[in-house]
Amino acid sequence: MLDIQNLQVVYGTGRMRVDAVKNVSFHVEPGAAYGLVGESGSGKSTVLRAICGLAPITSGRVSVDGAAVTTPRSKAFYRTVQMVFQDPYASLHPRHTVDRTLSEPLAIHGEKDAEARILQALKEVGLGPSFRFRYPHQLSGGQRQRIAIARALILRPKVLLLDEPTSALDASVQAEILNLLNDLRRRLGLTYILVSHDLAVVAHLCERLLVMQHGEAVEETTADALRSGAASNTYTQSLIQASQGFTRVAPQTARAPAA
Amino acid sequence: MTKPLLDVEDLRVRFHLRTGTVEAVRGVSFQLGRERLGIVGESGSGKSQTGRAILGLTPPPGEVTAKRLAFDGIDLQTVSKRTLRDLRGGRISMVMQDPKYSLNPVMTIGEQIIEAYRAHRKASKAEARDKALAMLEAVKMRDPGRVFSLYPHEVSGGMGQRAMIAMMLVTDPDLLIADEPTSALDVTVSMEVLRILDELVSERGMGLIFISHDLKLVSSFCDRVLVMYAGRVVEELEAKNLREAKHPYTQGLMRCLPTLADDVRPLPTLNRDPAWAL
Amino acid sequence: MTGAPLPLASQPSGMRAWLLSPEPHSRWQARLGRFYLGWRAFSRNPLAVIGLGIVLLLILVAIFADVIAPYSPVAGGDLRTQRLLPPSETYWFGTDDQARDIFSRVIHGSRITLFVVVLVALIATPIGLLVGTVSGYLGGWVDTVLMRITDIFLAFPRLILALAFVAALGPGIENAIIAIAITSWPPYARIARAETLMIRNSDFIAAVKLQGASTPRIILGHVVPLCLSSLIVRVTLDMAGIILTAAGLGFLGLGAQPPMPEWGAMVATGRNYLIDQWWVAAMPGIAIFVVSLGFNLLGDGLRDVLDPKAAK
Repeated sequence: MLDIQNLQVVYGTGRMRVDAVKNVSFHVEPGAAYGLVGESGSGKSTVLRAICGLAPITSGRVSVDGAAVTTPRSKAFYRTVQMVFQDPYASLHPRHTVDRTLSEPLAIHGEKDAEARILQALKEVGLGPSFRFRYPHQLSGGQRQRIAIARALILRPKVLLLDEPTSALDASVQAEILNLLNDLRRRLGLTYILVSHDLAVVAHLCERLLVMQHGEAVEETTADALRSGAASNTYTQSLIQASQGFTRVAPQTARAPAA
Repeated sequence: MTKPLLDVEDLRVRFHLRTGTVEAVRGVSFQLGRERLGIVGESGSGKSQTGRAILGLTPPPGEVTAKRLAFDGIDLQTVSKRTLRDLRGGRISMVMQDPKYSLNPVMTIGEQIIEAYRAHRKASKAEARDKALAMLEAVKMRDPGRVFSLYPHEVSGGMGQRAMIAMMLVTDPDLLIADEPTSALDVTVSMEVLRILDELVSERGMGLIFISHDLKLVSSFCDRVLVMYAGRVVEELEAKNLREAKHPYTQGLMRCLPTLADDVRPLPTLNRDPAWAL
Repeated sequence: MTGAPLPLASQPSGMRAWLLSPEPHSRWQARLGRFYLGWRAFSRNPLAVIGLGIVLLLILVAIFADVIAPYSPVAGGDLRTQRLLPPSETYWFGTDDQARDIFSRVIHGSRITLFVVVLVALIATPIGLLVGTVSGYLGGWVDTVLMRITDIFLAFPRLILALAFVAALGPGIENAIIAIAITSWPPYARIARAETLMIRNSDFIAAVKLQGASTPRIILGHVVPLCLSSLIVRVTLDMAGIILTAAGLGFLGLGAQPPMPEWGAMVATGRNYLIDQWWVAAMPGIAIFVVSLGFNLLGDGLRDVLDPKAAK
């Protein structure tokens, strides 16, 4: 479904040159969920932004559904690939109602029967029609993130790029959103690329994952390997260690604080 | 029985807004000795407002009332503004979430630590400088001399937070309030910061209030945990007995996190009972 | 992550409940609800309400000028007996050197003032908004070119530039309006650009980009609405200056031409009689003052509602 070959992203030139992503490659099968894990500055989000055109591709190849992407991306690309952002408080236009937010993609792509599709999209993310004419400030964080997911799904994309979709949410809300994402993937046959700093979240949602550090791929592994502690790389090991919580007392399975 | 370091009874924080009065903290009581106390809750639970109210940092138009709010026998409600200022930063310190916003961007880290020290302790410049360098070393800065002359924007988040801790602990306070001190940091860095904080707190025998949204982190770090919901403490328990939590909210908070250890699908979600908020 | 307070339940009733409903049932209800909240915040500021009252009064007076004014604003009375009369029961504001009732002239002058204000707002705001948002959103050489043009306009004092334009275009109220509009858009462009620079990197703009929206669609549908409120505030606050500039041009004989009852021109004629017949200049002067004040008060109130950042 998605193939990344030797992706490199460089910002600036000369002394200001920043190599955000250095030579990263991975491949995601249709219907799979693939995780990108790392700490801030590891380039994991930049990979995601390079796929969808928010960051430049300096060199390398990104192909979706067998075809290399063009710059600027085509309208057809946006019908195939959509993204959910980290902060639901920043990703919804503050002056637009839910209705306007959801009808915008339909209008851009000249879709018919907006009415029915908006109601359908709301239903898919577990919100009723009563949410349709609310403004973002009338919604909780979890509800906002559901709207953001509905917006991403309304064009019926095949690939969903998830950039830390739960790290700005409370733990109990995170569980609801994770369940929703799992459920949607199964029902709609979606392919996910998930970026997160939280190993437990990635292991919960994805089958395979890539650990990144300083813009480079450190190790590609599976969620099962992560659970059994079979990671070979020392950096991955240290991430697993840190995600177990503070270790003065007996180590328990603790979640790391949200960045 | 020894006098508690901090004695809070029936603490309430109200905000009088245009739309009516909102009570963010609704009758919180606890006592703190020289121990590590965790306050846990989700956003809107009033945990941060509790910490601020103790220090008298409730933002306007907030109003704080309490039956008792005493630090080491000093009534914080009746004390003069001057004394409160002396206590704050001198005997009680606070570490905030994001070092980017808590450090002065136009002063070097060293100057800020010196200033914090000289504001509360009589000391010559040279003494204060030595103290600041020692403090930077205590928070495990690799090259204290270099960090001393750096500006906040020149250091990473983890270093900034350690500098913040150095600044807050330089006066040897008796009580430290840490509000989400590691939430803005990467996991590996935050563990390092916590380890430093832990060492300093136990070495100096301080009282610590650790405010966080992360139940498991708090319980692995603190001795005792208060779980807050809707402005109230719904459960208080020894950190080591977390698994025996009685309140459904605490139990729900623990269960809803995905873990590496076992794969639960779907994750149990929290059904908020309106009765909890009563 | 600080504790967002829990709202205590309060149950408004009837119309208010419908307006404040957390679950609006239609686009209109949502919009009206927002408008109502804004109005509630606005109406809590008494000075702002006074400002709004003055501006509404100006509009009403302009609409009903023919009904309100007791005499013709242009044709004078008997030059031998009705010239330069002091305020009295017959002539509330007195008469001028042409034996015209000053009250009637001030009333009719409100039309000209309103005409100037509305036209300047209609011409300058869109230009400033478009230049600012396009420049801020696209950046690069477009930004450089547009902003240098803006800088050139900003480099001249407004009245001087307006004078130059009027001198080139010929005196008259229409040319005065064009001149004022041309000289007042650059600050709006600056404001709109600054707002756009903040907005353009936000996630919600990235999100709409990822839906395949074209650049004009993003600018007009997503960036402009967010710049609009601070611009409305600024334009309202500028209105006083615009009225003064128009009056200044009238005073210098480059704006409205006689016998049009333009307030600035009326002050100019009154200048000759300032010592003995003070009312000739004072009455239109007071009108200019009151309306300018009204717009300023209204602008302050709007700023508190629309642009809370700038309020403090």
